[in-house]
Amino acid sequence: MKRILPFIIILVVLGVALTSAWYLTRTIPAAQNPPGNQPPSSSPGAPGSQASPAQSEQPVVTGVPGAEPAHTHGPANAPVKLEEFGDFECPPCGLFHPILKQMEEEFGDKLHVTFREFPLVPTHQHALAAASAAEAAGLQNKFWEMHHMIYDHQNDWKKEFDVRPIFEGYAKQIGIDVERYKRDIDGEAVANRIMQDGKRGHSMGVKGTPTVFINGREVNFENLPADKLRVVIQNELRNAR
Amino acid sequence: MKKIYVVVAVLSLLGLTDALYLTIEHVTGQTVRCTILSGCSEVLSSQYAVVAGIPLAAVGAAAYFTVFSLAILALFGYRIAGKILTPLVFAMFFVSVWLFYLQAFVIRQFCQYCLISAAITTCLLVIVLSLRWFRPAAQ
Repeated sequence: MKRILPFIIILVVLGVALTSAWYLTRTIPAAQNPPGNQPPSSSPGAPGSQASPAQSEQPVVTGVPGAEPAHTHGPANAPVKLEEFGDFECPPCGLFHPILKQMEEEFGDKLHVTFREFPLVPTHQHALAAASAAEAAGLQNKFWEMHHMIYDHQNDWKKEFDVRPIFEGYAKQIGIDVERYKRDIDGEAVANRIMQDGKRGHSMGVKGTPTVFINGREVNFENLPADKLRVVIQNELRNAR
Repeated sequence: MKKIYVVVAVLSLLGLTDALYLTIEHVTGQTVRCTILSGCSEVLSSQYAVVAGIPLAAVGAAAYFTVFSLAILALFGYRIAGKILTPLVFAMFFVSVWLFYLQAFVIRQFCQYCLISAAITTCLLVIVLSLRWFRPAAQ
């Protein structure tokens, strides 16, 4: 028995490790699935969706006001209001970007989206420059165009030493006045907007990115993949009726 | 002498848990959230996180499991297992040093789970070296 015991211990540990890995990879959905690969089973507002884990247990957080006017999409009276605190250089934010676009397409005028700047300056060297570029474009009413441009090309610029010429190229592509953009990017208005969004984030307990609130309640990070976020939104729609 | 293999087994189990967590994060694409202090998402999404299509964390999990198995076998008197343990832990330590260099000077971000793994490997190296030093005195 003593000769077999070590092999039994090893096999038990191997079994536990493999079973845990198998279980967890099955229960955690892949965040990197492109939007087209999401399961088609649940349409917006469909009844019978699975309950979103613990979303209703989250406290409603109000926080101090952020930059005004905020960068928003969708009707102001939409039943579901989603607020994202994001950092353009953060890889999970880059992964969340197409997911949020997909949700906007699926839920249409039932979803109101707000984006707040939360650049993680010591961690991400270009995060502040990216936030400033988006805000400077926003002063010419092209925030979302620049926002999409920066996220869509995240892997093209984040390794570069100097990102300013790249963002100026994006400014040209989205058709804004580049000379004004160059002045605005270092201006007080842009810095103030980023500061105000940051203050709002801190007052709401934001510690990292992406942090998403739906109707004032923080969405758990593990609920941000498309199939889980869809369920959270569906539940909010059901509660709003 | 035998108690030290128990310590090696426990440490390697901790390393296995850490490496399995990172493997699952990698496989599911559920990279951890970006924070002011952590660069895990950057490290896990870098080109160095994969070797020949296999997540490096999975290779680490396999290495920790091998260390655990060898420690258990050595504990039950299989001498050959103790002999294989030393070069394996040395190799893991040098890989950890290389990965630490990549985090510090190439990716310029640190992932706390990778640092935990490096710390466990360093402890394993110290224990394995102490085993070699204490063996003549014990005999």
